[in-house]
Amino acid sequence: MIALHDVTKSFHPGKENQFTAVRNVGLTIAPGRLTVLKGPSGSGKTTLLTLIGCMARPTSGRIVLSGGGIAGFPGGEEIRELEITSLPERFLAGIRRATFGFIFQHFNLLRGISVLENVMLPAYPTGERHGEIRRRAAELLTVFDVARHAHARVDRLSGGEAQRVAIARALINRPSVIVADEPTAHLDTDLSRGFMEIVGSFKSDGKTVLIASHDPIVCDSSRVDTVVEMRDGRILRSGSTP
Amino acid sequence: MNRFVERHRSILDFALSSLLRRKGKNISLWVVYTLIVFLIAAIVFYTHALKREAAMILQGAPDIVVQKMVAGRQDLVPVGYVGKIAAIRGVGAVRPRLWGYYYDAVTGANYTLMAPDGSLPGPGTADIGSGVARTLRVVEGDFLPIRAVDGVPTLFQVRKVLPYASELATSDLILLSEDDLRALFAFPRGFATDLAVTVENPAERATVAAKIAAQFPESRPILNSEILRTYDSIFDWRGGMMVVMLGVAVFSFVIFAWDKATGLSAEERREIGILKSVGWETGDVLLLKFWEGAAISLAAFLCGVILAYVQVFFFSASLFEPALKGWAVLYPRFKLVPDVDPYQLAVLFFLTVVPYTVATIIPSWRAATVDPDAAMRS
Repeated sequence: MIALHDVTKSFHPGKENQFTAVRNVGLTIAPGRLTVLKGPSGSGKTTLLTLIGCMARPTSGRIVLSGGGIAGFPGGEEIRELEITSLPERFLAGIRRATFGFIFQHFNLLRGISVLENVMLPAYPTGERHGEIRRRAAELLTVFDVARHAHARVDRLSGGEAQRVAIARALINRPSVIVADEPTAHLDTDLSRGFMEIVGSFKSDGKTVLIASHDPIVCDSSRVDTVVEMRDGRILRSGSTP
Repeated sequence: MNRFVERHRSILDFALSSLLRRKGKNISLWVVYTLIVFLIAAIVFYTHALKREAAMILQGAPDIVVQKMVAGRQDLVPVGYVGKIAAIRGVGAVRPRLWGYYYDAVTGANYTLMAPDGSLPGPGTADIGSGVARTLRVVEGDFLPIRAVDGVPTLFQVRKVLPYASELATSDLILLSEDDLRALFAFPRGFATDLAVTVENPAERATVAAKIAAQFPESRPILNSEILRTYDSIFDWRGGMMVVMLGVAVFSFVIFAWDKATGLSAEERREIGILKSVGWETGDVLLLKFWEGAAISLAAFLCGVILAYVQVFFFSASLFEPALKGWAVLYPRFKLVPDVDPYQLAVLFFLTVVPYTVATIIPSWRAATVDPDAAMRS
């Protein structure tokens, strides 16, 4: 479970251009469920995702991870509850790598290297055997039907293919939480529906899925368990879908 | 341990494919880097090899050379000094030497005329260095004209051309019999150009030199070590031309490393942000940049050093030989014996590979210490 307590995130605090992207947000994300953060551009969805995903620290408030699936803590010890807000960067990177899998709006694949290498990237710092990482990456590419492009450079992929590669990369370290930021923003209707099918399979595998989107294909999908509506950095309403 | 090795292996693997992504940029970096290392290494190898040659020649040189000075001008030494100097405690042997410089107006070259001990050329014959043979275009059996003190040319038949192996020492040498040399330069009997003194115990050389100076106030004893020091200052890094070349090379390297240290493209920053967002720690990013820098600098170092070695020892430093040797009408022509000082090589390594690698890491460290979302947004 991911619990946010009175979380606020301000950029350039104390300066003239101070900007508060997330204001006093309290939220609980249930494990194994699909939660969508819905709202217009500038509503604070992406910022909230980066805070939950340990990519940035809140200016105030607490974020607590609890239950199973928290991995990446030094020493490999089993953690039942962890407040990530005050952890040093080294620990955050470990949790980010092992607990979360990210799918970015612009996919954020590294240009110039092969599809296979892009998928393998998050696993490099783990010290896992190179051959094993390669085997798992190849397997994921097969699952997402992009294995034929394994040795091609990512620059040559179509939007849909690039996204499936980004999904494969998000899964390489077997995370328990999948975080996706506007994943359908650059996809047509068919590809967007295809993406939601893939997301449905994550749920069946017991993964927690968190998506920021204002695309109706995502927000109105029957696979979504909870929709959290945001505007101006605040939560307007949060509720389970029928 | 295994995880440590695997982590390095994976990150090194990625560093290499990462370098290949920016082929144009990295190849030009490598070329410039190799060129700078080549230049510095070639200068270091060349000066070291020359110094070694000079030291080898000096091994056969006398421990002390005694000259006579008249109001600061070198004059002939009375041979009568020999017995008195030989009587000084610690002196092994004293040998008068007869030699002088000769300017040949036809070729514009200076030769060293000498009457050697041992196997003397007979009267009317001469042994010549290969530099002299080349400049005058003479071979064994030809006649060599030398103007005597009265301006009348005297012909000497070339008995032999001195061997190639001793060219650095003998290139400009013309060996004559004692009588011929005295006649040419009008050296009176009972006088020599200087005296070669052998001292058995090297620790006593300075003391013996001081005693000679005290006993003969008009004499100027020159120690072997002083000649070596002069060679050093000519050939060493302090030698004018080499300082300039080395300075230019080091300065280019500083600019090059500085450019690298301050330049991190927006694309590279974005990539660091992506790597951090997918779970790379700052340390992982720095390791990646370390391997990138090390791969380029090690490859450039090895190529630069090998090219410099080939250039200096196989092609006799033909690229900058004229500049480093200075001006002369007759150059010695010889091949340097391959000899590399490991200490200098280590210094070169630490002066080139280490600063470049550090210069690669610093801007990445700056980019990698910010939150991944900030790095990605920038």
